[in-house]
Amino acid sequence: MKALFVLVVGLGAPGILPSLAVARRSPVLVFLAPLAGAGMVAVAAEIELGVGGSLVADYAVVAVAANLAVTAWWLAARRSLRPWAGPSWGWSIVTVVVVLAAAAVPLDALRVPMIGGDGNSIWLTHALMVYGGHHELLTDLQNVAYRFSNPDYPLLAPAAGALAFAFFGLGNLHLAVDMTVLLSACGLGVVGTGIAVAASGGSQGGRPSQGGSGGMGPSRKRSQQSGGRQPTRAAAVAAAGAICVVGFAVSGVFEIQGYADLLWAVAAVGAVIWGLVLPQSAQALGVAWICAVVASLTKNEGLTTAIAILVLIALRYRPLTRPVLAARRWAERAAFVAVPALPGLAWAGLVRLIGLHDAFFRATSPESPVTRAGATVAGMAAHLAVAPVDLAVLLVGCWFLRRDRERARLGNPAWLWAAWLGSLAILFATYMIGGPEIHGWLTASVNRTTIFAQVLLYADLAIWLVIAVDGAFTRADSEQRDVGQSAASVASNPRRTETLTPNVDKLRTRDR
Amino acid sequence: MGERSRQVGKRIGCAVIASAAAVTLGLSVHHGLQTTAAALGPAMSDRQTTLFRQEECLYQAIRSMVPKGATVYVDSPYWPLMQKLTELSTLWAVPQPSLATAQYKLSAVSAHGDCSGIALEVRRP
Repeated sequence: MKALFVLVVGLGAPGILPSLAVARRSPVLVFLAPLAGAGMVAVAAEIELGVGGSLVADYAVVAVAANLAVTAWWLAARRSLRPWAGPSWGWSIVTVVVVLAAAAVPLDALRVPMIGGDGNSIWLTHALMVYGGHHELLTDLQNVAYRFSNPDYPLLAPAAGALAFAFFGLGNLHLAVDMTVLLSACGLGVVGTGIAVAASGGSQGGRPSQGGSGGMGPSRKRSQQSGGRQPTRAAAVAAAGAICVVGFAVSGVFEIQGYADLLWAVAAVGAVIWGLVLPQSAQALGVAWICAVVASLTKNEGLTTAIAILVLIALRYRPLTRPVLAARRWAERAAFVAVPALPGLAWAGLVRLIGLHDAFFRATSPESPVTRAGATVAGMAAHLAVAPVDLAVLLVGCWFLRRDRERARLGNPAWLWAAWLGSLAILFATYMIGGPEIHGWLTASVNRTTIFAQVLLYADLAIWLVIAVDGAFTRADSEQRDVGQSAASVASNPRRTETLTPNVDKLRTRDR
Repeated sequence: MGERSRQVGKRIGCAVIASAAAVTLGLSVHHGLQTTAAALGPAMSDRQTTLFRQEECLYQAIRSMVPKGATVYVDSPYWPLMQKLTELSTLWAVPQPSLATAQYKLSAVSAHGDCSGIALEVRRP
């Protein structure tokens, strides 16, 4: 209960305004606010290490500055609190309740005070250091005796734990574990609500008057005609709940023990779902960016994966157009990557500035590249059993449901698969150039380093499930009418989707 | 006829996708529920509670047996225990990479009572 209090009051409350500005009234708001707060407390820990002060003081400065900036932007842009055209209030509440209930099932394991492995040697150790203030944090991270704790790891999870210690003292060390697990559940909530929102994909980001409570098509009338609204939404909400349990199933007991692997992985999956799968909109882009920030500030592999995802998001929102070398377009794409990656890159620069290095790359391995590559491929494949199923679903879906996916304005599945392959390529390269003996290294880590790839495939299955249910309940005549209505709607109102670019509707065709 | 067969094909495709996705997600959910149940089972629960109580006990022992701010060298042949003592010294003592610079040597030894079968031993080098 204490950790839940810190999650709501310590992280959720400071993160609510920035999250509201990004997500508006949407089910994702409940789960995004604590993650936004966690991002801010991680930035505060960076300041604590690089500049000075204590976590609480630095967090207060960061939170106040972020909220003032959001307020100023809101007033300047005259943003209203109008809901984006997602599900109705009723479905939003149902979604939140189902996702919370589903997340509560694995969280029940927190009744047992489990901690061990990295939960001890890395995350609790770093949480104590962050709690100790600038001098303690700096000297301990530079202390050779703490080299086992991977001192170059980012500080989001430790900072959240240290914030809990600031609230309740050091009487219960398990609070740090609880915070990491609860934040992981929030990340899964963001993924789950993204899947639920996919059921209203066609109306996502549009004005409320234009089909705000419709199904996957662009209008309420169409949804009622097609009869696809209730079953599609029910399936989407069920899939949203399922993914919350699946995330913990994939990570096993490690996550309950305070490991941060699930946290960065589900934050990165959230960035993919909101940035590369859901229809393009300023809101979806903002949610994706916050998720990418959280992933990049949680673990080193989170930073590299987040940057790869941000590059894909930039290319989706700013597609390659003629002239290919237009400087302004490339500047925009660079900003799409650099701005959300800035906190993570700042951490990477800071740790090198103070002389901290990753223990995995200190020495070169005596093993041959062929040996390492073979072991790595076998090790990774053993944890990707879901990949053939998802690949088969992808092929069947592209053959039979391509038009339904386009009608729902969901991104081309190639974006998600590019993110998946990119993450595996980064992982493969890491194992290839790292120093530790490969078999031992894989045994100790590959089940956790592949969590992102696994959860992403399960999320893709959930998205296809929603599309299939909608397709099964959509009549042929309404389907054809939808295509015509979508085209007419886009042609008559180019600002309908409220995206960052005025011409994005034209580009959407290319996106697919 | 062409449109009708297309619709039938689509219905079959929807059924295949929905079935495959639902079964795969369902199996994973089932695995997740089993994992949670195992974690809450009496055997796992008792073991984890004992380990955590042991950790809290060592944490308190360090604070009662070592002066605040002292330099310590953690010596244990079992590296997870060495890491744990180093971790639990954080914010109280200053772990050293070698015995030469340490004021105290910490080690965990087997003992009845104390911290669930382990006792903290503090010696001057």
